[in-house]
Amino acid sequence: MNLVGRPVPRREDERILRGRTRYLDDIDPPGAAHVAFVRSPFAHARIASVAVPDDLDGVFAVITAADLERVGDLPVQGIEGGEVSAEGHPVLARDEVRYAGQPVAAVLAESRALAEDAAELVEVDYEPLDPVLDARSSEVTMSRWHKVAGDVDGAFASAAHVVRATHALARLAPVPMEPRGAIASYDQAEDQLTVWVSAQDSHRQLAGLAKVLDRPEESIHVIVPDVGGAFGSKGAPAPETMLVAAAALATGRTVKWAEDREENFVASYQGRGVEADVELALDEDGRMLALRARMWADLGGYLMPTTAIPTHTTAMLMCGVYDIRAADVEIVGRRTNKVPTGPYRGAGRPEAAYFVECTVDVAARELGIDPLELRRRNLIRDLPYETALGWTYDSGDYARCLDAAVELVRPERHSDDERVVGTGFGMYVERAGGQFETAEAELLPDGRVLVRSGSSPHGQGHDTTFAQLAAERLGVGIDDVELRFGDSREVPRGVGTFASRSVAMGGSAVVQAVGALKEKCDAVAGGRSMSLREIAEAEPGLRASARFESDLVFSSGAYGAVVEIERATGRLRVLRLAAVDDAGTIVNPLLAEGQVIGGTAQGLGQCLVEQAAYDEEGNPTFASFVGYSLLTAAEMPPVVTAFVESASPLNPLGAKGIGEGGSIGTPGAVANAVADALGGVRIDPPFTEDKLWRALR
Amino acid sequence: MKPPPFAYHAPQSVEEALPLLAEEASVLAGGQSLVPLLNLRLARPEAVVDLGGVAELDYIDAREGPLRIGAMTRQATLERSEPVSRGWPLLRKAVRHVGHPQIRSRGTVGGSVAHADPAAELPAALIALGARFHLRSAGGERTVDASEFFLGPLYTVREPDELLVEIEVPEQPDGTGSGFAEHARTHGDFATAGAAAAICPSRARIALFGAGPVPARAEAAERAVAEGAAPREAAALAAEEIDDEHRRALCAELARRAIEEAMR
Repeated sequence: MNLVGRPVPRREDERILRGRTRYLDDIDPPGAAHVAFVRSPFAHARIASVAVPDDLDGVFAVITAADLERVGDLPVQGIEGGEVSAEGHPVLARDEVRYAGQPVAAVLAESRALAEDAAELVEVDYEPLDPVLDARSSEVTMSRWHKVAGDVDGAFASAAHVVRATHALARLAPVPMEPRGAIASYDQAEDQLTVWVSAQDSHRQLAGLAKVLDRPEESIHVIVPDVGGAFGSKGAPAPETMLVAAAALATGRTVKWAEDREENFVASYQGRGVEADVELALDEDGRMLALRARMWADLGGYLMPTTAIPTHTTAMLMCGVYDIRAADVEIVGRRTNKVPTGPYRGAGRPEAAYFVECTVDVAARELGIDPLELRRRNLIRDLPYETALGWTYDSGDYARCLDAAVELVRPERHSDDERVVGTGFGMYVERAGGQFETAEAELLPDGRVLVRSGSSPHGQGHDTTFAQLAAERLGVGIDDVELRFGDSREVPRGVGTFASRSVAMGGSAVVQAVGALKEKCDAVAGGRSMSLREIAEAEPGLRASARFESDLVFSSGAYGAVVEIERATGRLRVLRLAAVDDAGTIVNPLLAEGQVIGGTAQGLGQCLVEQAAYDEEGNPTFASFVGYSLLTAAEMPPVVTAFVESASPLNPLGAKGIGEGGSIGTPGAVANAVADALGGVRIDPPFTEDKLWRALR
Repeated sequence: MKPPPFAYHAPQSVEEALPLLAEEASVLAGGQSLVPLLNLRLARPEAVVDLGGVAELDYIDAREGPLRIGAMTRQATLERSEPVSRGWPLLRKAVRHVGHPQIRSRGTVGGSVAHADPAAELPAALIALGARFHLRSAGGERTVDASEFFLGPLYTVREPDELLVEIEVPEQPDGTGSGFAEHARTHGDFATAGAAAAICPSRARIALFGAGPVPARAEAAERAVAEGAAPREAAALAAEEIDDEHRRALCAELARRAIEEAMR
């Protein structure tokens, strides 16, 4: 049966919508100690002393950095071709706090309410220091990546036109519906630590725990229950998770931390927070000769394990979808007194797409060329294509994506006494996949097939798409395939769910494992017509595994937006949006479109309302939904989606990634539409009423 | 986000509730503002007096004369009331902007008034309708005009031992039109600003909210409308004392829309 390419409804939804799920906070171990953190109220301060209250009713322990001498800091991942400081985030602050919300001490009590009461009694003597809130002027560099490829200076010297533009994307809070959380339990007799954690996968958590706690991985069991969203923010292990595990080891108690919304806002790592000076050299025909970019990333007070990764992605994608043969790109990650940043849906790709696409529109206006025409003159047309910066785009049809976006969005440009209307486009290319992923397939006695995946769902729909892939390969119905995820003792060691990699990598591993199982089944059948159940009876315990490896694949797309700005108030309305994505083979168009719409909503959120802003003292202004808005269905414009399916040659499915396109393509398209409506005046998002109203005057 | 400890009282009548009111006691109505404030530990009362069981304050009485709304009437009840939408349509227009349906199912009319958030919709609408608020304490009763009730953000003339028991909205003259306009970042979010207007041939009442520390009547604009000025000119007067240029323009525009709707 042909299942791939069909809009199969998410089969996990019945369970989720009926509440038959188990999220982290649904796990309620009897007698558990509940954790509340004492968090820094200052953006930057020296800690002179921490005084812990004497015995309090219902309080088991108060843990400070002094109790964690044998617990390491979080590890830091490097970036290819760049330098990254090795100093990781401490589990609890020692002598300094570098952002408001940083954990300083942890209280373990009978209930979360008692723990919060006791946390107020922990006396921390802070000596406030001046906060650094601006990346450009920060004097501490935590990461740096710089590459010069081709004759950049020569190209700029001979260029007919040099266009300069400055852009910035504000910090965003990921705001998953389910906040973070962890539970740890220690079995002293067996020396086994079990950790339940709301995370994007089990194995990165396992590796982080082993490293920070200095324990062998064999002595740690990580279980990821149902997860209510992450958007990147539950990929790297959290300091709080480490504290929960360390506290379970130290006290012998089962320890539970279920984060509340306020903590999630102030202490979960954020996305974006990058600004750029971009220069583009063009010849007299508008051909792009070279690009220079200087970028500053506002990384926050510490490097989380993956903080530097998005900066590298941004830098490497700075030639976008254009045939630019010379580039000089630098991105420096600066320390500021804010919560760290890290991968958030798009994770460096929206920054690059926004910087490049806005610069292209600036160039079009300065050169007097239609922005679509300028794009068409410079699009990469022959793929695979190795960029000046060194990545190889495996497949794509950028011109076709752009043509489709133009047709679907129906461009408009006009103004009257009440409103101005404009249209803009934003293209993108994004890295997806890469590294490896794993799967195991097992023939069950009843003839069904159990597939264990190293990839792990938290809202994407793996249970449906992976079952489609496996069932089609086996020639059985989707109900004959069962999926298991998220338990480090059960599933094969995988890489995880991030970077739009699940179908291309995890799906390919599933197809290969199932294919290998099918070969074994066929061998048992030996040409006879046998059902899988009969084969299972004849040869019990058949299983096969696969580890699929590949280079990066590159999804791409073109987005178009039509916007209207009200003259009297500055209110922005996105009238319609066209989203054209090329993610290679689409396994499930229904779920793929869901990914596009969701990503678009987050991209629009960045454009319209979202901004994790700090006041001049470094206090977060976004500690609740009063200070941080999310779009609702009422703000969503009509979104028309379309897929271009240029198959990737790098995996058996021809798949790339669809998880992030909406968040990558939307900001550039909307920003260019806003600039078009404003007659070329450029401002950065969020496009608030007051900014637009002033720009119109 | 767990509240600090407090004593909890659940009176079943106004008589039982009144002696419990004190400086350090907070009144819990629908809980849509107080509960988050408690959970964020921004409010730290010694006691919470929960009016959830005081059924006698849950009524809408429009049988004759003025509209009488018991303070514990849910916003959703106001929203769905036929007599209200016939006789005082401005209330229905305003209440639909209060949060989301879930919030209006719990939130009360009295809670919205007594909480006195400067961005709240109902206080401004009640000012435009010339409402009066009835307060009771163990020592007696008094009535305060809506336009004199609000003193500052989350601050009113209500004394700690007083309970807001009823909102009385006078009958509107024949031919009264009403208009309501607001802007918020997203649907259901706190208003950035808004305007409410109740206009009849003999009188205009216009109130702005989110524009200053309290919802307030725009008297210069009211006079201008009464004297026959165009809505746009009157609206400009409503916002003329706002310092920030954009907020001034925004409030003027929202006032214009409310006035035009009311005069339609």
